[in-house]
Amino acid sequence: MFHLPRVWKIAAGAALLACVVLGFSRISFNVDILRLLPTGLRQVQGLSRFLKYFSQPDELIVTVEAPDAQAAEKAADEIAAKLGGMTGEVKRAVARPPWEKNPAQLTELLAFLAINQPPADVQSLVARVSPEQAKATLQATLEKLSDSVSPQEIGLLSYDPYDLAGPLAATALASGAQQSEFASADGTFHLIYVQAAKPFDNYQDAGKWIEQIHRATAPWQGRNGCKLGFTGEPAFVASISSSMQSDMQSSGIVTLLIIALIFWVCYRRGWPLLELQGMLLLIFVLTLAIAGLFFDQLTVIGVGCAAIMIGLCVDYGYFIYQRSQRHTGSLRELQTQCLSYIVWTAGTTAAAFFALNVSSLPGLSQLGNLVGIGVIVGAVVMLTVFAPLTLRRHQRVGGHTASGVERLVTSEGFNRVGAWLTLAMVAGFLGTLAVKGLPKTDFSAKPLQPRRSEAYTALDRISEKLLNGEGEPLSLVVEGDSVETVRARLVAAETQLAAAQKRGEIRSFRTALMLWPNAANQQANLPVLRSLVEHLPRLKQSVLDAGFTAEAFTLTENVLRQIAAWSDKPAPIWPDNDASRWILRRLAKQADGKWHALGFAQPVAGREEALDQAVTGEGIYLTGWPLLTTELRHVIPREFAGAMIGIAVVVLGLLALAFREVRALAIFVGATALVFVCLLGAMSLLGLKWNVFNLAALLLLLGTGTDYSILLLLALRRNHGDVSAARREISLVVCLCACSASAGFGTISWANHAGLASLGQTCALGLLIDAAISVFLIPPAWAWLHRQLSGDGFR
Amino acid sequence: MRSLLILLSLLVTSPAFAADSLDLAPLKKWITRQSDVRTVQADFTQTRSFKALKDPLASPGHIYFSAPQSFRWEVGNPAKTVVLRKGDSAYLIQPTKKRAQRLAAAELGQPGGTNSLPMMNFPLAKNFEDFNRQFQVQAISVEGTHCHVELQPRDQQTQKFLDVLKMDFDTATGYLIAFEVRTRDGSMMRNDFSNVRFNAKLDAGVFDYDLTGYEVVDAKN
Repeated sequence: MFHLPRVWKIAAGAALLACVVLGFSRISFNVDILRLLPTGLRQVQGLSRFLKYFSQPDELIVTVEAPDAQAAEKAADEIAAKLGGMTGEVKRAVARPPWEKNPAQLTELLAFLAINQPPADVQSLVARVSPEQAKATLQATLEKLSDSVSPQEIGLLSYDPYDLAGPLAATALASGAQQSEFASADGTFHLIYVQAAKPFDNYQDAGKWIEQIHRATAPWQGRNGCKLGFTGEPAFVASISSSMQSDMQSSGIVTLLIIALIFWVCYRRGWPLLELQGMLLLIFVLTLAIAGLFFDQLTVIGVGCAAIMIGLCVDYGYFIYQRSQRHTGSLRELQTQCLSYIVWTAGTTAAAFFALNVSSLPGLSQLGNLVGIGVIVGAVVMLTVFAPLTLRRHQRVGGHTASGVERLVTSEGFNRVGAWLTLAMVAGFLGTLAVKGLPKTDFSAKPLQPRRSEAYTALDRISEKLLNGEGEPLSLVVEGDSVETVRARLVAAETQLAAAQKRGEIRSFRTALMLWPNAANQQANLPVLRSLVEHLPRLKQSVLDAGFTAEAFTLTENVLRQIAAWSDKPAPIWPDNDASRWILRRLAKQADGKWHALGFAQPVAGREEALDQAVTGEGIYLTGWPLLTTELRHVIPREFAGAMIGIAVVVLGLLALAFREVRALAIFVGATALVFVCLLGAMSLLGLKWNVFNLAALLLLLGTGTDYSILLLLALRRNHGDVSAARREISLVVCLCACSASAGFGTISWANHAGLASLGQTCALGLLIDAAISVFLIPPAWAWLHRQLSGDGFR
Repeated sequence: MRSLLILLSLLVTSPAFAADSLDLAPLKKWITRQSDVRTVQADFTQTRSFKALKDPLASPGHIYFSAPQSFRWEVGNPAKTVVLRKGDSAYLIQPTKKRAQRLAAAELGQPGGTNSLPMMNFPLAKNFEDFNRQFQVQAISVEGTHCHVELQPRDQQTQKFLDVLKMDFDTATGYLIAFEVRTRDGSMMRNDFSNVRFNAKLDAGVFDYDLTGYEVVDAKN
């Protein structure tokens, strides 16, 4: 078996090496949490568009918080100046709106708004400034300045005597723009937007750049009670990627160490231990390389594969090592004997992990594929490489003597105490379930995020301080092939939002519609407004005659001159000076051959679900975590339930073929059901909640945990119901497998990604429960059932 | 957008710092005394001067207040603008245009509010702690029974527009003499009060307004 000519071996080795190099060269990390979610969901599509087109990949946000407003403002200005001076690293650092230093920059935007308004409004403006009405218009302005109680109106009108901006300021966009994107209302919290000098090549690049910013801003940390925070796309990418890398490395290494410890405690053999560890590393490298051929990017969930596959593949190594100790025949015979066991266990495990593909969660599918590949690679490596090595060593060293742990595991006393303890554990978990009920569910965005992240902490603080604790708004993303299509869709979206506001589903909303060019209006308005330039001397004289100073006319004159400057430009016209670009960067974007516009809606708490259907249409996406979690809550449990039923039917069908008796099948079903019920009790006791990721634990337990009961039942059948013989054959292996697999899953319990960690915790817990029930309760149950059914029964 | 537009007309200057040690006793006493006031009625002359206007604009007006939350502020003769608050409802009424806006009563006169001026926050503060939370005293001087106080709002957004608030009151009677708001662009709004009466009986209908035939809309905040 498995003997190949030398030339074929060399060719296979070379091909393998090429695959490894190619596979590894393709792998990178993807920190986008939306890559973990079903891409078919409309909410995910909307959020993906929001992040793709409106996140700023090269912009770091530095938060400055101080006990008093003056200290915060001073620190923010100083830091912006310092960072702005790092010309090699920073393109610009902005702590105040660009137009604050130069308000005249907003003239262009005002001119744009003027040409964009409905032609009827422009006609009304032209009438207001006509020789017949100009005097009355100015008189009305003076009356407003005398009577108005609105500070904004008073502030603006004295510089806008013909009220050019008045109708524009009264629009929907104006109503929602009271919050600042630079400072909290109390002034104790400031933001600095820092743009990198050049785009980042990868996450290490981003990490190094952020380190430089950290070092440059360090003198302000703690000065006058100042606290600095760092968030934004580069901060997320750098911190999540590095934590992914460290999760993968640390969980893999810790799992290897635990496996080494377990093996040493059981067998106390150095070389076999090193060989086994070498096999596990080989499996890991091969799996990752093969995976690299299929997936170019590992998600945060995918990185959990290392520890899990090591924890699972070592099972086959234990099994082969245990069998080889007593084996007296040839290598081929050993491989054949092990093959059926390994095919059974690796087959069901790989099937369960590959079954994660039925989930629409791409992160879980990737994890399933990686571990599924790993398990198959592991089975092949253990059978073809480890089996010859370990057999040769045993044949050289000589006969097998049972280790202390092996004697303990197969002793009557140990199994009796174990059975009682397991029964007590089962009773305890069932009691907990009866008292505390089922574990709670958490379909919020929390499991999708890292548990510890400076970037998220700073983002939460921004939300708290700048959004006044109103909670995260929903994002409206509107896309279309042309400026006009997007505009039409924005109009439709605003109509739907206004209706939702009337129904009490949202508190407020604003979209890019106000700043979106209306080509038809611009074409109609430009010639009309341009003609006013010729009237500038008259208009100015009227202003002076009405009692205004020359300064009062500057804005009107500049706006009209800007409009005249656009007169030869084809519509649609976009404003494009610094101030306009700053405002538009988060509202409008042209990319991938499409136009994208952004808006926001502040939902009324508890009414989010209604909005999902209320604001919809081609190219219109109202998205946000509350809506996404609502969608996930409906989709994911249904998906997993379907997959569970599918796997259960396949496993039961296969086992029916293997056992060919109802009694063994009944014990298997009973034990598996008991494992799941106990897991629910344990989760309830420990306060663990179900989320979109650890629901997969049910599938994995069905594929992996059931191996233990299958192995026990197969051993009992092979030994004709001799419980002691079956235990001698398989108990130690099952214990070792359970400990190693639990260690594999257990080490990812500390992963920084909350969802991955919860998957690790739930699986480790389930596997330990499964192993305890299989080792301690299945043999006595088998013996009791056979006694009941056959009168005398097997011994 | 509105805040952006406003910035067109404003220049930012560096914030003033409070004097090191001020004798706030007259101010504290005056604020404490306000809690004894059940009703107020007064006439005033409102003067507004703007950097972009050659001459100041002046208008007469009246104010009525009844504890705890009834308030009427009207400018012009006949009234062109009326701000009316009764309990939880508040309106900005423009009789000449037959138009009324429903305001958020709680935000009336609050720093940073978009539909009312700081002097409409009447009484100015419930107690000294409340006052201190809203304003920082920059200067205080007393001449005879005439106390002059200069304040800066603590709200940072308001600070961007308002430079200083000035207030004059009579330490003997507790009457407000004048209230002045200076904006950062150099504009000024001042109310000089006269015929001040405390705790006199007010006509019950003074806080009601017949809005029949008016277009009533919700104000955008």
